[in-house]
Amino acid sequence: MNKLGTKKLDMQKLLAPAALVILYIFFSIIGNNFLTFDTLKNILESSYYIGFMAFGVTFVIIAGGIDLSIGTVMMASALLGAYTFKQHDWPLVASLILTVGVGTVFGLLNGGLIAKLKLPPFIATLGTMMMAQGAGSIITNVQSQTWPTATEPVGGWFKPVFIRSELFGAKNFPVGAIWLIAFFIIAALILHKTKFGRYNYAIGSNEEAARLSGINTDNWKVGIYTLCGAFCGMAGIFYAAAYTTITPGTGNGQELNAIAGVVIGGTSMSGGAGSMVGTIIGVFIMSVLKNGLSACGLQNHWQTFFTGVVVIGAVLLDIQRTKAANRVKKG
Amino acid sequence: MKKLTALLLALVMTFGMVACGSKTNDTTTTPSTGDTSSTDTTDTGDTGDTSTEDTGSGEKLYIPVMAKGFQHAYWQAVKQGADQAAEELSVEIYFAGPASETNIDEQVNMVKTELAKNPKAMALAALSTDSVTEILAECAEKNIPVIGFDSGVPGDTTGAVKATAATDNEAAAAIAAEKFGENETVVAAMQNATSDAPIVIGCLSQDAVSASVTGRTTGFVNKMAEIAETYQPGKVSIEGHTTWEKKVENPAIIIRVEVSATTEATSLQTSASALLGMEGITAIFCSNEGAVTGFLAATSDGSDLGEGGKYEGLVVAGFDAGSAQKNAVRNGWFIGSVTQDPVQIGYQAVALAVAAANGEEVADVDTGAKWYDATNIDDPDMATLVYD
Amino acid sequence: MSEILLNMHGIQKYFPGVHALDNAQLELHAGEVLALIGENGAGKSTLMKILTGIYTKDDGVIELYGKPTEIQSPSHAQQLGISIVHQELNLMQDLTVAENIFVGRESTKGLFLDKKEQNRKTDELLQSLHLNITARTVVKRLTVAQQQMVEIAKALSYNNTKILIMDEPSASLTTAEIEDLFTFIRRLKATGVGIIYISHRMDELKEITDRVTVMRDGQYVDTVNTAETTVDQIVQMMVGRVIYEEPKSHSNVAPDAPVVLEARNLCSDMVKDVSFQLHKGEILGFAGLMGAGRTETMRLLSGADPKTSGQILVNGKEVHIRRPKDAVKAGIGYLSEDRKRYGLCLGLSVADNTAMASLDSLTVGPFVQDGKVAQVTQEYIQKLRTKTPSGKTLARSLSGGNQQKVVIAKWLLRDCDVLIFDEPTRGIDVGAKSEIYKLMNQLAAEGKSIIMISSELPEVLRMSDRVMVMCEGRLTGELDISEATQERIMTYATMR
Repeated sequence: MNKLGTKKLDMQKLLAPAALVILYIFFSIIGNNFLTFDTLKNILESSYYIGFMAFGVTFVIIAGGIDLSIGTVMMASALLGAYTFKQHDWPLVASLILTVGVGTVFGLLNGGLIAKLKLPPFIATLGTMMMAQGAGSIITNVQSQTWPTATEPVGGWFKPVFIRSELFGAKNFPVGAIWLIAFFIIAALILHKTKFGRYNYAIGSNEEAARLSGINTDNWKVGIYTLCGAFCGMAGIFYAAAYTTITPGTGNGQELNAIAGVVIGGTSMSGGAGSMVGTIIGVFIMSVLKNGLSACGLQNHWQTFFTGVVVIGAVLLDIQRTKAANRVKKG
Repeated sequence: MKKLTALLLALVMTFGMVACGSKTNDTTTTPSTGDTSSTDTTDTGDTGDTSTEDTGSGEKLYIPVMAKGFQHAYWQAVKQGADQAAEELSVEIYFAGPASETNIDEQVNMVKTELAKNPKAMALAALSTDSVTEILAECAEKNIPVIGFDSGVPGDTTGAVKATAATDNEAAAAIAAEKFGENETVVAAMQNATSDAPIVIGCLSQDAVSASVTGRTTGFVNKMAEIAETYQPGKVSIEGHTTWEKKVENPAIIIRVEVSATTEATSLQTSASALLGMEGITAIFCSNEGAVTGFLAATSDGSDLGEGGKYEGLVVAGFDAGSAQKNAVRNGWFIGSVTQDPVQIGYQAVALAVAAANGEEVADVDTGAKWYDATNIDDPDMATLVYD
Repeated sequence: MSEILLNMHGIQKYFPGVHALDNAQLELHAGEVLALIGENGAGKSTLMKILTGIYTKDDGVIELYGKPTEIQSPSHAQQLGISIVHQELNLMQDLTVAENIFVGRESTKGLFLDKKEQNRKTDELLQSLHLNITARTVVKRLTVAQQQMVEIAKALSYNNTKILIMDEPSASLTTAEIEDLFTFIRRLKATGVGIIYISHRMDELKEITDRVTVMRDGQYVDTVNTAETTVDQIVQMMVGRVIYEEPKSHSNVAPDAPVVLEARNLCSDMVKDVSFQLHKGEILGFAGLMGAGRTETMRLLSGADPKTSGQILVNGKEVHIRRPKDAVKAGIGYLSEDRKRYGLCLGLSVADNTAMASLDSLTVGPFVQDGKVAQVTQEYIQKLRTKTPSGKTLARSLSGGNQQKVVIAKWLLRDCDVLIFDEPTRGIDVGAKSEIYKLMNQLAAEGKSIIMISSELPEVLRMSDRVMVMCEGRLTGELDISEATQERIMTYATMR
């Protein structure tokens, strides 16, 4: 009986990748100019920053928490990076480090509020979400900030390094994809192969049992949220590389895109289960869906609508999957 | 289980088909070819990347018109003009904009997607020039002419932008300052102002980011300062936002620029309330429809400005139109408002794009601005400019 | 013979990959208590779920009050007069008794709740059941036994309940409370209600039930009159073999065995000045009533809760235990009575759970050595004879006894010399129980020291070398196993 059960579960693991491939083929057939290098590049470029946020928040969600601040923290990071670079003439490298640093600090703050001061994650990160949004506006005096474009003499290397450059014979090779995959591998290694990752699952599955096993769960939780913050900082860099101009007061709502990606990838909102592969596939499904629908000439409200349909569908599927699995076990 | 999966996928696909189908009906087409258009539409894009110079034949020209938003009635009027031009010139346009004017990423994605369809020309009102620099460079390289409209694409260095159809925002906003300078209440207040009891003239702007709003703010602030100086030389202070700040000691007239934290109505309402709460507030200029909406929300839909209202006697001028603002003007709550000609902007954008696509030389078009108040708002030639 | 309320026969039920019920049958008379017993997985729950409309049967007949009946849903079952009291308490702790009983079908007056009417009806019901509880009492103020009664009252509050299913109603009750429950059940059966009583406690069956139906592996084994059978016969029917270790008559601990753990004057809110010593190789039983402070004392020793004062000495040296990590470092492993909440990460694999406390020694740099984890997990699966398809199986899908073994493996792998078992066999069926007992004796013989909290006196007497008795947070007595009897323990346990 168990053999039967496992087989079925493995099939379901393939569901998300299969959906991605099917969607891609589907849009290639009916979309306008969908099956082109340009479109592929667009799909990739619009998934970098969501991808990084999603990697970060995957850790948090698997640990049974939630981080609503990722969107605005990403924006605040990118905003402050650009601010120090443009207004205070910092070297670009220093600004980039600051960008990741700001995200990390917000992550640390989240972790402290949740693990040490015992605030519910929803409330704590709702607070930091607003704080990050406000902080960005305060420091920049509500002025939008720009990162250097490829043609600028100072920091012109920013975009070629992070988003696209002439490489492997392609004029606009999506370099960001290499970064994304590299950090995907790092994130996956951390989650699946390290003690940190193992405790991550344990905390999400049963925090009290983990604590009673001698795991200092509070400290690990701080670590988990801090890591998530660092990923948001990196997301800020890639957002900046893709969109150059950062407007204060934005970022609200981006967290939901990332969380949706994680959920589509099969990570359970109740914690203890999920994978990094699922997350990256979930992010790509959303990205393909968005680009594909606009290749069909549908405006963004439609894209948002369909993303919603897919999120609900993915979760329904997940529920079915758990039900089926439980049924097999009980007998 | 499998059934559910299949069902879900089928659902998504059907929705996709239906939606793609419905889109074809939305696109503007000439009545003469209307019956065949639904099949033509998909073809247009496909042939776009194979044929290069063939624009004069039966295939209709496809032009994406990338606006800054959809949320205000203003953009609907622009779309109306664009649709009108599309019909007259027998081209197909795709008019789209992000859900909010701060969603730079959304617009960039949108423009990228359109560019992937290899259009013959594109009209663009960029939320941020820097964000579309790479895209413009690509347009320049592919010889796709870009026509700026509304706020256009200021500071483009790639040469892709061939012309812009826009209002001169600084000049337009200066009209409002001049009207304040002619208003008896404001003039009297300026004359009687002292350093002990300074008066405040407010300017409510939704951001310090977009070129059109900053242009208007600059135009208004500069002109207002110039007029104020004639009454109180050396005692005019500009405060509120660093971009325009020019403070003096012991001012008699303070020109206060209030920039909202976000472009959402609630945030603008908060900023408007802040201005209204200031000691000595005499006049307020709202620099776009968003600012007017926020301002009206802060004044009980404007009724606080009327007879017996909390802010009776406050001199207010607006910018753009929209039914709420028109109502305020008609009731005399606003002394008047400046309007651009959004229909004209949309029309000229498409007209210029078509010309550019056909290889013609194109030049900037000033689409003009007008002052309207309770006396002329319902004149027929004004009525076409002030959209609902 | 009295009226036959229910006759289920030829019941078949298939789940994906499992034949859960194979020709199951059951007959219930009016005014009798029928015990339904079997090891976990024997199909008792599935059969009851079919009877209460949660599952539908794949084949077979249910004759209800003499008529073949299809039970379509839980609410349909209720209409038909079938009610169930679940093993876990399902009451909302912050609501009143009346609100709990009438949840989902509140008395209303127009748009508004009619609390007066509801309370009146509840009081009437409680009185008719001779329960000394009022409708307005908030549930969390009641004892566990009283809450159990409320659950039963709730089940009976549906009009015309003829068949009442009780799923391990005594699992969380102390001896005195169980007596109350039995009195209550006897009164109930006198009114003609038929009761299906599911339990693992053999001693109870003799006392309360009239007949016993035994199931094994989804199949019906036999039904016997309780009076004409013995516990051993029933157990044999269940598992097909004789089990249980013989009770200890004297301590197995050498008189000169060193003290490995000593508690001196431990205090907290619930624990008052508790001191005791634990010797190497000893099984030290902790007896007492519910709420006597036994679990609370152990939570201090394991660092789960902070102590307000007192000292803990391990091997003669004082250790400062502020959090579980400190206790684990000192070699103290705690096995909670509530494995699902405090012992295991159910959603993780057996291997992950086994390695949970010992990852520090199973990593190279930041990376966990999965190969080594799998290897040690396999070793413990064999050593403890854990029944699991593999180390990758989720802990959730193991039976209670095997879950307990995974927790034991976790602490053994961490090299814990002191193991604290809190109700080691709660919710574990008979066959697995004896295995856990054997394992505990084996561990003690190997030199581990064990503290065992148990509310089942036979268990205390069977396993312990020495018995400590607690009451209201204090130690009230200490007995060597050679002098311990149920009566003496109960005397200490109620000594205020």
